[in-house]
Order: sequence, then structure tokens, then C-alpha cells
Amino acid sequence: MEKVLIFTLGDERYGLEVAHIQEIVESPPLFYIPRAPGHYRGALNFHGTILPVLDLPLYLGFSQAECGERVVVLPPSLGTLALAVTAIERIVPFESDSLLPVPQERLGHGYIRAALEREGDVINMLDIERLLTTLDQA
Amino acid sequence: MRVEISYKFILGFIFVVASIVILDLVVPMLGVPEEFQQIVSMGGALLVGLILGSIFSRAFTANIRRLNIAAERLGQGDLSQDIVIPSSSFPDETQDLTHSLNRVLDNLRELVGYIRTSSTRVADSAQGLSATAEQVSASSHEVAGTIEQITRGAETQAEMVEKSSRVIKEMAVSIDLVASSAGKLSRSAAETVTTAQQGGDVARETTALMKQVLEDFEENGEQIAAFGGQVQKIGKIVDVITGIAGKTNLLALNATIEAARAGEYGRGFAVVAEEIRKLADSTSESAAEITRVIESIREENQRVQNSMQQNMTEMDKGRSALNSTGSSFDAIIKDANVTQSKATSIAELAENQTAGARSMVTAIEEISRVVTDNAAATEEVSAASEEQTASMEEMAHAAQGLSALADELLERVKCFQIEEPTDEV
Repeated sequence: MEKVLIFTLGDERYGLEVAHIQEIVESPPLFYIPRAPGHYRGALNFHGTILPVLDLPLYLGFSQAECGERVVVLPPSLGTLALAVTAIERIVPFESDSLLPVPQERLGHGYIRAALEREGDVINMLDIERLLTTLDQA
Repeated sequence: MRVEISYKFILGFIFVVASIVILDLVVPMLGVPEEFQQIVSMGGALLVGLILGSIFSRAFTANIRRLNIAAERLGQGDLSQDIVIPSSSFPDETQDLTHSLNRVLDNLRELVGYIRTSSTRVADSAQGLSATAEQVSASSHEVAGTIEQITRGAETQAEMVEKSSRVIKEMAVSIDLVASSAGKLSRSAAETVTTAQQGGDVARETTALMKQVLEDFEENGEQIAAFGGQVQKIGKIVDVITGIAGKTNLLALNATIEAARAGEYGRGFAVVAEEIRKLADSTSESAAEITRVIESIREENQRVQNSMQQNMTEMDKGRSALNSTGSSFDAIIKDANVTQSKATSIAELAENQTAGARSMVTAIEEISRVVTDNAAATEEVSAASEEQTASMEEMAHAAQGLSALADELLERVKCFQIEEPTDEV
């Protein structure tokens, strides 16, 4: 059985598998990254490693959404990046079978891998690998 | 020597006879021829008798003529001259007659003079009397006019007196009203003083109570402020607890992530982490609850403090209002005291006035009686004056009659001359 971290971007609920998370930290004061693109909020010192912090709501087009204090640090195997989200909710278990497929061709450059129905609500599963690829391409 | 006229005539006759005799004797001796002696004697005797007879008769009747003339004068009313007869050696009856007539003359003169002076005096007096009567009559008329004026004046006076009496009676009634009003006012003022004193006492007691309440309120306010401070301290503690809960929640999340990474070995750990997360969430919820409660307490406290502040302001106003109420009561007491004393003096004055008005009424009634008496007396005087006027007119009339009578008498006695014509005026 896998576990997923539920967080919000604006009013929307998103999910990210715990396997893709290194740690959740309280955001200390961020360093300013000179000449960085606008969707980077800054950089933080995570146990001696400097990590850029991506403003996920801004990057995904939630213009009105704000970011909370807690940031999600990705494991080094995936990439040196921390994600700023609106709010962290909780970690819940889920069955891989229960994921609902999302028609990729219609969404184009969508970053939603699948949808998870839970307690009458729909949680979008973030396609982190695609997100990282897009970031690296930019 | 007194010789009566008859004797005188006898003597004269004798003398004539004797003369003729003598003549008769003398003639022959004168050489007259005898033939003529008779004639001469006769002629001589006739001549002598004529001459002597006429002389004697003249001599004898001269006095009588004089007397006759004097009597004639007397008859004409001339009393001015006494009858004078030449003295004679042989007075006769004419002399007596003369004396008698002269006495009559004297008496008449005296009488006429007396009548004349008396009638003049009477005329004068009558004229004076007439004038006086006219004056008196005029005066009486004046008096009558004056009395009429007096009568009219008396009538007016009577009316005035009646009016005065009415006015004074009305005034007396008004004064009585004033007196009773003043009495009522005095009693009201006394009641006001009592009530105001009670009010002042109540106001002072209330002020003292209010001061106590204000002090209690201030104490309460301080207590509430202290309570607020305590609650804020609790809030801070709750904040700390909330922070710890948040950290615990984070730790639980990370523990869950670690447990998931550990796979099958981390399963128990994951359960513990879940429990910790639940505890942290519960703590967080409770802390939030406490914070809400504290917030509501703080708001309530603020409201209470505001309300108390407002109350204190209001009570402060109330206290100053009460203070001014107390001083107002004092002022009312003062004014009411003044009013009472004034009302009392008004009542006394009004009573004096009432007494005065009563005596005035009595006096006016006395005046009214006097006026009535005066009117009656005036009418009597008027009647008397009219009678007097009539009497005076009668008297004037009588005096005029008397004057005319005197004039007539004077006219009558004027034909008697009692003085020499040269002396007459």
C-alpha cells in the first residue's frame, strides 16, 4: 500500500507520493537567487545543501494562490528542488488500483498524472517527473 | 307903662277933641274976621281932626300891620325872620301877640329843622338801607349760587364717596385675597424647604453611594484589566502550545515519510507517527479552540471594559449632576426661605392693609353720613338764603318806600324857610 501527501494549491487539492518526498520543512528565510526566473521564490539551506524553491502555484498558473510556510523537499535522486505549496494537509494511504486515468492528449502539457477519488473529493496526482523535465528544459 | 289900645284910642279921641277946642279958642285971637271965624274954626277942626286921626290911627295900627305882614309871611311858610316891633314906651296887646307869635315861630322853626334833618337822615339811612339791602340781596344771590355749587359739589362728593367706598371694599377683598395667597405661598415655601431639604439629603446620600459605586467600579475595572492580562498570558501559552503542536505535526509527517521509506520495517513506526500526528492535530484543535475562547473572552473583556468606561463616564456625569442637584436644592432652599419670609411679610402687610382698608371703609361711611348731613344742611341754608333774599328784597322795597316818604316829607317841609334866604342852600 502506497502513501500520498495531500496539499493544496489555491483551493485545489493535489497529491504527491511519499516516495517522491525527502522531507517537509518549515521554510526559513529564503536567499534571493540573482537573475532567476520569476517562479523561483528563492533558495534555502537544507542540511548544508542549497535548494531552489519553486513557487508551484505560480508556476502552474494559480495566479491568486499564496504559499504557506512549509515546503516539500524532493529526494536528491529526483532532483535538488523544494516545492512551495499553499498548505500541507496530511499523509493518507491509497491503492494504486483506485487511481483514475486522466486523458493526457486533451490536457496537453498537463502535470496531472492521475486523479484519486477520496471521501467524495478529487485529488489530482502531480506528475513530478514531467514537472522536473519541463523545468530542466526551460 | 302898659296901655291898652282901647285906652289909647280914647286918649287920642280926647286929644283930638282938645285940639279942636284949643283951635276954636285960638282962632279969634288970630284976627280973623268974625264972619270967617266959624268957617276957619270948622276947617281948622276938620284938618286937625283928619291929621291927628290919621296919625293916631296909623300909630295905633302900625304894629297890627306889621303883625299882619308877619302872619302873612308865616302863612307863606317863611319862618326865617322873627317879628320885630319897635319898642314903645307904651306897649299894648300887639306886643303880647308879637311875643306869642315869636314863640310859635321859634317852635315851628325848631320842629321844621328837626323834621328836615330827621327826614334827611331818614332818607340817607333809607338809601343806605336800600343799598345795604341790595348788597345783601346780591350777596344772598351769590350765596344762593355758591350754595347751589356746594349742593352740586356735595352730590358729586356723595357719588365720589360712594365710588370710593365701593373701590375700597373691592380693594379690601383683593387685599384679603392677597393675604390668603401670601399665606398659601408661605406654607408652600415652607413645604418646598422641607421637600428640598429631603431632596438635598437624598442627593447627598446618593452622591456618597455613587462615589462608593464608582470606587467599586474602578476596582472592578482594575480586576477586569488584570483578568485580561492573565487571559493574554494564557493566549501566549496557547500560542506556544500551538507552535509545539505544529512542530509535532511536522515531525509526525516526516516520521510517516521516513516510515514509508523504510518499507515493511517502518510499518509500526508509521502507526506511532500517525498517532502522534493525531495527538498533534487534536492539540492544535484544542489550542485553536482555546484561542477562539480567549479571543471571545478578550472581546467580551474589551466590551466590558468599554461598557465600564462608558458607565464610569456616565456615572461621573451623574455624580456631577447630583452635585449640582445638591447645590440646586441648596439654592431652592435659600430661595424658598427668602420667598417664605417675603410671603410672611406680605401677609402681615396685607393684614395691616386689610385693617387700614376697614378703617378707611368706616371713615368713608362716616364721610358719607357727613356728606348726607351736609347736603341736608345745604338745602336748609339754600332755603334760608332764598327766604333771606326775599326778605331783603322786601326790605329794599320798604327802604325805597321809606326813602320816598322821607323825600316827600322833606319836600313838604321845604316850603318852610327857617333861615335867612342868603344862608339857604
